[in-house]
Amino acid sequence: MKIILETKAVTKVYRAGKVDVLALRGIDLRAHQGEFVAIMGPSGCGKSTLLHILGGLTTPTSGEVWIDGVNVSALSDAARTRVRRDKIGFVFQRFNLLPTMTAQGNLEIARHIHGNGSGAMQLQSSQEVLRVLGLEHKLRSKPLEMSGGEQQRVALARAVINRPSILLADEPTGNLDSENSQLVLKMLQELNTKFTQTIILITHNPEVAAVAHRLVEMRDGRIVDRAQDVSYTAVEESFL
Amino acid sequence: MIVANILHRPMRTFVSVVAVAIQVTLVLLVVGITTWMRVDSAKRQEGIGADIMFRPPNAQLLWLTGAPMSVKFKEVLERVEGVKVAAPVLIQTTTSGGLSQIFGIDLPSYSALSGGFNYLRGGPFEEALDVLVDDLHARNNKLRVGDQIDVLNHKFRVCGIVEHGKGARVFVPLATLQDLMGAVDKTSVFYIKAKDPNETDAVVQRIKAIPELRDYSVISIKEYLSQITNATIPALNTFIDVMIFIACLIGFLVIYLSMYTTITERTREIGILKSLGASKLFIVDAILREALLLTILGILLGLGFTFLAKRVITTTLPTLSVLITTAWVVRASLLAVLAGVLGGFYPSLRAASQDPIAALSYE
Repeated sequence: MKIILETKAVTKVYRAGKVDVLALRGIDLRAHQGEFVAIMGPSGCGKSTLLHILGGLTTPTSGEVWIDGVNVSALSDAARTRVRRDKIGFVFQRFNLLPTMTAQGNLEIARHIHGNGSGAMQLQSSQEVLRVLGLEHKLRSKPLEMSGGEQQRVALARAVINRPSILLADEPTGNLDSENSQLVLKMLQELNTKFTQTIILITHNPEVAAVAHRLVEMRDGRIVDRAQDVSYTAVEESFL
Repeated sequence: MIVANILHRPMRTFVSVVAVAIQVTLVLLVVGITTWMRVDSAKRQEGIGADIMFRPPNAQLLWLTGAPMSVKFKEVLERVEGVKVAAPVLIQTTTSGGLSQIFGIDLPSYSALSGGFNYLRGGPFEEALDVLVDDLHARNNKLRVGDQIDVLNHKFRVCGIVEHGKGARVFVPLATLQDLMGAVDKTSVFYIKAKDPNETDAVVQRIKAIPELRDYSVISIKEYLSQITNATIPALNTFIDVMIFIACLIGFLVIYLSMYTTITERTREIGILKSLGASKLFIVDAILREALLLTILGILLGLGFTFLAKRVITTTLPTLSVLITTAWVVRASLLAVLAGVLGGFYPSLRAASQDPIAALSYE
């Protein structure tokens, strides 16, 4: 499988007042197309910073980030935004749905930003995605009218509606009960399996990390362990 | 998204829309009232029926007042070939009941200019302290024939109500006004009727050729009316410009504050949009569209306010009206759009340049 995402010696230094904080200290990471990678580590180890860099929300202080053959760390802000729009979907712990818009509106804005479809076709597509996620009856509900699980499923639908190559999930089950957590994880697995979507999932929960093909453990801004899961080989083979 | 956002904060939307409406209303009313006053003044001058105005040297265009000329010029002017009649008019400006002019007229010569007043009630002067008022002034002040009114601190009897459009709204005998002003045998202006209106220019030249009248202003009514524009009335354009600027400033500041608080409140949402891949242009466009939508709603409401205000003004003040032209409706709307877009521009740039990570973590 081709390498869809790669970091080379990525470092990130934050300026906190007069003190430099070294958040990432030379991260080398690779993810293949269709791979499901979990990044685990304690709070403050730099995993969210790494996810933000992978998603092009910020740039590394040094090193390179390659997404689908493009060195995004060398791109302008506008070009990185285009890569993010075309290649990456985000799922956050706090769902991050637009509060003034309905579930359907949240999906449509993602499609609109992507420039993908319009009018009746867009509406049909949004409705289809929500139907698959069991949220058809929530089309016209605003985030505050939905449970946490429902909100996260809408967020997940929004992240994948434009079929990005890479899905970056930052503690997606962090605010959910166990039942909804299982549901969301199952959906992530399905997306990964059905659409060969690369998923990078950040968590500090080993049970959540267990659904991934591969576990990467971080501590103090470094990768300290890379556990290769055999199950990915099977998945990889199934794609061939 | 834009509609959802403006519905999300109805009070802020309402205040913004009303502010833009006030801007549009203010522009249209200021321009409409001043334009109407100018047009009305010109129409009333035309309604006098004269072909030529004979004025003192350095006379102001609109507000002739005082008594700088001798009425004896009447004989001189009426001897000029082609002059049918020269009617002296003494003009007194009064601020009683609003800025207006009182014409002291020699009724026979003044009537000869246009064939006389059309008396709707009552009749001509009978006594020295008689006053004629036009129908609009009478309606405005609820006057009837026989009523007593104060003119220059003296009690006058309304002897007649005449159709409007013949110079002033209030007329008193020339001799009475001369007495009251301490200007015996003096006048402010002569209105001249030519025997043949087609020879007006020739008559003007003949009057100008009289050596003793060399310094006086002689102008045909046609030329005079063509000179009455906003630009020729002292300070009028400046006044209009200042009022328009203030109105636009109100619209700009309210939209600016509204959009600024909006983007501050929606910092997290801007971060979400950025995480979805929204470009800076997308965010600028979204904020400006929102500002534009508020402005358009404000323009529509402002037009409604303006026509309502016009109705109230014309109902309560018959001597005043508002001239609303399509050109100024378009200009006022464009000014509101400009102020609205400028008001939304900085907040939109600020929103677009926000750091997505900081925005996403904004509480």
